[in-house]
Amino acid sequence: MNLADRLEKILYKVKNPVRYIGNEWNMVKKDWAEDKIKVALAFPDLYEIGMSHLGLKLLYHILNEEEDIICERTYAPWVDMENLMREEGIPLFSLENKKAISDFDIFGFTLQYEMSYTNITNMLDLAGLPLYSKDRDESYPLVVGGGSIVYNPEPIAAFFDLFFIGEAEEGIVSLVKKYRELKDKKLNKEEILLELSQIPGVYVPSLYDVVYDNKGRFKGIKPKYKGVKEEIRRQVVSNLDQAYYPTKIIMPYMDVVHDRAVIEIARGCTRGCRFCAAGISYRPVRERSKETIIRLADEILQNTGYDEISLTSLSTMDYSDVADLVKTMARRYEDDKISISLPSLRVDRFSVNLAREVQRVRKTGLTFAPEAGTQRLRDVINKGVQEVDLFDAVQAAFEEGWSTIKLYFMIGLPTETMDDIAGIVDLAKRVLRIGEEVRRNTTRPMKKIQVNVSVSTFVPKAFTPFQWVGMDSREEIEKKQKFLKENLTERGLSFSWNNPDLSLLEGVFSRGDRRLARVIESAWRKGARFDGWGEFFDIDIWEAAFIENQLEQSDYIQARDLEEDLPWDHINVGVSKKFLQKEYKTALAGKLTEDCRQVGCTGCAICFDLDVKMELYRGDANVN
Amino acid sequence: MVMRMLIRAEFEKTDELRYISHLELMTFFRRAFRRAKLPLVYSKGFNPHILFSMAQPLKVGMTGWKEYFDLTLSQEMDIGEFIDRTNRELPSGIRINKAASIPEKSQALMATINTAAYIFRMTFRNDQEAEEELLNSFLAREEILVRRERVKKGDIEIDIRPMIQQAVILEPGKWLFQVDSSSERNLRPEEISKALVDFHSDLEFIPLNRIVREGLYVRVGDELYSPLDEKIVGR
Repeated sequence: MNLADRLEKILYKVKNPVRYIGNEWNMVKKDWAEDKIKVALAFPDLYEIGMSHLGLKLLYHILNEEEDIICERTYAPWVDMENLMREEGIPLFSLENKKAISDFDIFGFTLQYEMSYTNITNMLDLAGLPLYSKDRDESYPLVVGGGSIVYNPEPIAAFFDLFFIGEAEEGIVSLVKKYRELKDKKLNKEEILLELSQIPGVYVPSLYDVVYDNKGRFKGIKPKYKGVKEEIRRQVVSNLDQAYYPTKIIMPYMDVVHDRAVIEIARGCTRGCRFCAAGISYRPVRERSKETIIRLADEILQNTGYDEISLTSLSTMDYSDVADLVKTMARRYEDDKISISLPSLRVDRFSVNLAREVQRVRKTGLTFAPEAGTQRLRDVINKGVQEVDLFDAVQAAFEEGWSTIKLYFMIGLPTETMDDIAGIVDLAKRVLRIGEEVRRNTTRPMKKIQVNVSVSTFVPKAFTPFQWVGMDSREEIEKKQKFLKENLTERGLSFSWNNPDLSLLEGVFSRGDRRLARVIESAWRKGARFDGWGEFFDIDIWEAAFIENQLEQSDYIQARDLEEDLPWDHINVGVSKKFLQKEYKTALAGKLTEDCRQVGCTGCAICFDLDVKMELYRGDANVN
Repeated sequence: MVMRMLIRAEFEKTDELRYISHLELMTFFRRAFRRAKLPLVYSKGFNPHILFSMAQPLKVGMTGWKEYFDLTLSQEMDIGEFIDRTNRELPSGIRINKAASIPEKSQALMATINTAAYIFRMTFRNDQEAEEELLNSFLAREEILVRRERVKKGDIEIDIRPMIQQAVILEPGKWLFQVDSSSERNLRPEEISKALVDFHSDLEFIPLNRIVREGLYVRVGDELYSPLDEKIVGR
C-alpha cells in the first residue's frame, strides 16, 4: 500500500486532517522523477504556524523555480496524528507527493524559536533518521538548518549536518545543486561536508571542536582542520528591490495565523532596541521601492484572491514615505474591496491615524509596545518612546473609535527595580483614564474601554547588547508577576503573563552550548513535544533531563563576563562585538543611541563587515 | 437598473479535499471567484462580503457528488463561461459540473433542500439477497432509537426511522439511504452508522470517509428533484 492509501486509513480520525492533505492552491507538485534533486522543507511546528511563515514560502518557491529541483513541505504532526502514524508505521511525509522524508536528498528545517527543539528531534525520528549527524552516513538525507535562531545554533548543532547562516534566498540554490554534484561523485559524507563548508554562510558543526582551557573554561569553537573557515559570515541580500519575491504564493485551506497576502516592504530595522535580536541580525535596513511593491501586490492579489494585504517588515511605519505608499495602495484596491493591514504600529499618533485611514476591517483592538514602565528603563533598552507619544497614540486610537488597547511590556530587564514594575501599572491606568475620558465626551456609541496588559519575561539573546545580562531568577519573576496581578485588578484592566519556567528554559537555549543536545534528546525521549504550547510544556521533564545530563540551568541563565568567550563567537552576523559591548555599557549608563537612519553611522560595523549598505527608497542613507 | 444574475451551481467534493471543512470551503470559493474575476456583488456595510451561499454542510471526510451553491453576479454572464472560468481556479477534488441562471426570487438552498442520499460502503459483504434481507429487517422495525449528540444542550435519544425515506442495496456492500435533510428534520449519516452497528453484530461502524453524499434533493410528494430543476427554481 502506498503512503497516500495508508494515510486514508487514519486521516478521518484526527483533529483538523486538513493539516496533512496538501493540495493547496499554488502548491507546486512536480512529477517524482529519479534525476531530480529532492528537497523537503520542514517547519518544526504545526501546519497553521508554519504556513504563516514568509521565509519558508520564499525558499519553497525559489527552489521550485528550478527545473531540476523538487521542493516539498512537511510540518510537525499534532500529537493525535503522531500517535496514529507510529501505530500504523507511517513515516514523516511530504504534503505534495506524499513521499517519505527519507526519500529526499535534503531535509531542511527553518528554525524560528527555541521552544521547537523537541519537535526537531521528533521529526527526525518520525522520518526514520538517527538524531545525530555523526550517526548518519551519506545514504541519509542531508539535514540542514536555517532561519533566525541559527545565529546561536550550538544547542542543536549535533543534530544537523550543516547550517546556512543568514538570508538564504541567494545561496540556497547553489548549495542544493552543489550537494547533488558531490553526491553523484560518490563522495562519502565527510568529504561532502568538507566541500560544502567552503560555501559562504555554510557552517558544518562537525568540522569544529569546542575548545576548553586547562581550568575547563570554554575558549571558543575552532576548526578541526586547516582550510576550514574560522568564522562563518552571515549572508545578506544586497539589493532587496531586485530580489526574487514569489507572487504565486501557496494558500492554505485552513484558517492559519496570518491568512492574507503579505508583501515584505523592507528588511531590517535601525531603531536599535537593545533587547531585540531581530533588530541586530536583520541589518542593514533595505527597502523595496514603491513601484516594486505595487507590482508585487497586483500579482499576488491576482494569483491568490485574498481580500487583505499586509505590508510587513520589522517596523513598517519606518518605511520611507509610508503614508504615500499606504494611501496609494488603499486607493488602488478600493473597488476590489481589498483592505490594507499594517502590522507593528509605532507608538505615535501618526501610526494610529494612518491605520485608521486604510484599515477597512476594523480590528477590535490596537497593540502598542512601550516595553518598559518608566522612562529611565525605556532609555536603558533604547526604546525611543516617550510617555507623551504613548498617551498621544492611545488618545488618537480612542478618538477613532477603538475601545480595546493592548499594551506590551517586558519584565526582568537589566537594571530593573520594583519602581519600574509599578510604572507598568501606572501607565496602564493612565491609558485607561484617557479612554474613559474620551468615552464620556463622545456622542457616538462606544464599547467599554478595555486595556489589556501583556507582560513577558525578558530573555537575553545572542548578538544583542544584552547578551551578557543575567536573567531574573524564578522567584524574582514570580514576585514581579504577583505585584502586577495584585495591582492590575481594576475593572477595564486585564493582565496576562508567561510561564516563568518556559521563559527560563528559552533563556538556557538562546545562550546555550553544544552540551544541550543531550538534554533535548532526553526531554524528547521522556515525551516533550510542542514545548511552546502551554498545554504540553512540562518543566518536570526538563528538570529530569538536566539532572540526567549533569547540567545546571542556572549556569546558562547567569550573567556573562564582558570579555569571556561565547559559544556563538565563531558566527559573524556583521555587527561587531565591540559595538555590542559599547551598547551594553551605554545601556547601563541609561543613555540612548540614536537611529543611524537619522543621525548617521553609530558604528555597528554591519555595512563594512558584510559589504552592504542601507537601501532606502528615495531616501538618503546617512552613512558617513 | 443593473441586471443582476443569480447562479446556482452543482459541484463535487472528492479525494483529499473531502477533509476541508464547510467554512474553509466557503472561504476558498470566495477567493476562487475573485481570482476568476467574476463580476461579484458585495453586501453593503463596513465589512462587505460576497453575496454567496451554500447548501447544507457536508461533514469533514465525506465525499459529495452533487453539492450546491448560489452566487449573485452584477451582470449577465454565459453559464458555460462561468463554469470554465471558475473551474480553472479550483484544485483537483472540487469541480463545478452544472450551473443554471435562476430567478433572483428563488428560495435559498438551505430552505429548499429537504432530502439527502447517502451511499455507505460497507465492510460487510454478502450476496445481494442476504444483504437485502438484513436491510429489510432493519427497516421493518417500528422505531430505531439512536443517541443524538448535541454540543451544548446535551445528548438525547431520538427515533430515526421516520426520517429514513427509503433504503436500497445498489450492489453488494453498497447501501443507499435516502433521508430527511432540512433545517427542521435532519438525519445525520453517522446516526445511520450507529443504528446499523447496534442492529446486527455483522455490521461494523462505517466512518465518514467511507460514506458518500450522493446528492441533495428537493422532495415534492414522492418525487425527487434537483435544486437546479426548472420546477424547483423560482418557487
